[in-house]
Amino acid sequence: MKLSSGEEVAEVLIERENALLDGRRVMFDASRRDGRLEAIRIGQDVFRIRVAREKERVFVWCAGEVREFRRAGRRAARMTEAAGGLAAPMPGRLRRIVAKAGSSVARGDVILILEAMKMEHAIRAPRAGKVEKIFHAEGDLVEAGEALAEIG
Amino acid sequence: MRVARTALEMGIEPVGVYAEGDTGAFHVGRMARAVSLGPGTPLETYLSIPRILDAAREARADALHPGYGFLSENAAFARAVEKAGLIWVGPPPSAMDQMGDKLAARRSARRAGVPIVPGTEDSDTDAAAIAKKARELGFPVLVKPSAGGGGKGMTLVERPESLPGALEEARCLAEAAFGDSRVYLEKLLERPRHIEFQIFGDKRGNVVHLFERECSVQRRHQKIVEETPSCALDARLRTAMGRAAVEVSRAVGYVGAGTVEFLLDERKNFYFLEMNTRLQVEHPITEETLGLDLVRAQIEVADGAALTPAWRTGKVFPQGHAIELRLYAEDPATFLPRSGRVLAFEPPSGPGVRVDAGVEEGSSVGLDYDPLLAKLIVSAPDRGSCIARARRALEDWVVLGVETNKALLSAVIDSEEFVSGYYTTDFVPRLTLAPSRIPDAAWIAAALSFSESHAEALPVVLPEPWDAVKGWRSGR
Repeated sequence: MKLSSGEEVAEVLIERENALLDGRRVMFDASRRDGRLEAIRIGQDVFRIRVAREKERVFVWCAGEVREFRRAGRRAARMTEAAGGLAAPMPGRLRRIVAKAGSSVARGDVILILEAMKMEHAIRAPRAGKVEKIFHAEGDLVEAGEALAEIG
Repeated sequence: MRVARTALEMGIEPVGVYAEGDTGAFHVGRMARAVSLGPGTPLETYLSIPRILDAAREARADALHPGYGFLSENAAFARAVEKAGLIWVGPPPSAMDQMGDKLAARRSARRAGVPIVPGTEDSDTDAAAIAKKARELGFPVLVKPSAGGGGKGMTLVERPESLPGALEEARCLAEAAFGDSRVYLEKLLERPRHIEFQIFGDKRGNVVHLFERECSVQRRHQKIVEETPSCALDARLRTAMGRAAVEVSRAVGYVGAGTVEFLLDERKNFYFLEMNTRLQVEHPITEETLGLDLVRAQIEVADGAALTPAWRTGKVFPQGHAIELRLYAEDPATFLPRSGRVLAFEPPSGPGVRVDAGVEEGSSVGLDYDPLLAKLIVSAPDRGSCIARARRALEDWVVLGVETNKALLSAVIDSEEFVSGYYTTDFVPRLTLAPSRIPDAAWIAAALSFSESHAEALPVVLPEPWDAVKGWRSGR
């Protein structure tokens, strides 16, 4: 199977105690407790392992670091850029709507204020125009990439 | 959680509060008793003074400890608690008012003879006066909301021509966030260190300091790693800053635990920055080096006890070194918050390793609260072994399911600057997170997990415990 983690991609095939990593043969032993993977031994090196899977993602703790793996090519639907609009740069709560729908704005005017943890972010008009629509109400939680407003 | 443990040790029955949606939350599960604040958002529950007071009445509580988030720095809340006939485990509301208003705090510090960061005063309101002051201070300057604090809502202004717009925006943001549009300017100190002093006062007028915490490892103006003692202070400077911290606190009649924050410039001049009128998140490193329980002292002082004689006569001395590392649910490179479900949580352990966690396996990490998952506090006889211990503990820490800043914390303590002890507040953004090679074992583990059927077919080939097998060296 083809796996990816961050920028890295590898073809991983496993047949009993043999793994083929991008064509390179690696012999290993796996240790389990109550069916749960606890460690992998390669040669004389023992790697303590913890894995957890959630749907399309597998999290692996190994050699002191945590990494997230996915099946390459089965990438989750990419967040669509809100066309002609303003997208939330991060998940957060819509704190205040400064420019109401229907109002005219100049480039750089604050349209709304988004709060994420202890940061307040002013979301500004990328160009002059009319605020056609505000997609949320004050207090709403929004995800990163979600459309916030549309400037006509 | 933290407070409940101490209360139990003192023979006090702790009662927690929780919002209706949070019944499975960690802090409720560990509390001997818990009272509901009803349904709703944090604003309608944990931040609702009437609901919390109702809960306190229902629990027939004698005293209320506000913790260190939510309403802990709200003077109106403190007054309401006292009016309801409960003991407020915190400073007098008047002291909270004076320190909560950052402009008033600067005035108090100056009156107490303590240097403050150069900046504008209350009276500077018209645009021309502010622009003139800014030119005198020299750009860049910081615009800060008077009702803010902790870096909240502050804006950096690099050039005179951006000042009017920045002031306008800062006022608007301050009004939206705090309902108080007053802002002030502060000169931006070049490469400062951020050092704070733990303060303690009793109701009889005694105020002492319990040494410093070095808080210069920051991202987004928030601390992520703290240590004590600070490498930047010698005995003379420590005495001078400690005395200044005590003077500022005494000037407002401070009682209980508080923290006075200073900036230290490259020439070792120190300036009062602000005072936090509550227990700080990073208080455990002080507890570790002094071998005491600050929450216990808070409760005793609130009950009318005097500070112990050893504190009053300066017979308290720190032992060894302690470092706190804050594990946040966030992208380690961009610092943007992350959410999700904690699928596995195995904190490190061993001598000198303490973990104060707010989550456990199965917890969901939402966006409503601060994304601080847990704090790792390590202590050791000296700084070098303390850093080595922190590195080992970080490596052992298993947190799966939510992205965390663990890689950033490792990069901090492995960096030349941190190890040297000479670092300033601009050091974290300059760190580069070099992606390390993914070990073969991690690829194999992931593949095994994706192909459950393969996993079932695999025989258990290794005897347990593994220690019994000779000639293996532990792999890294």
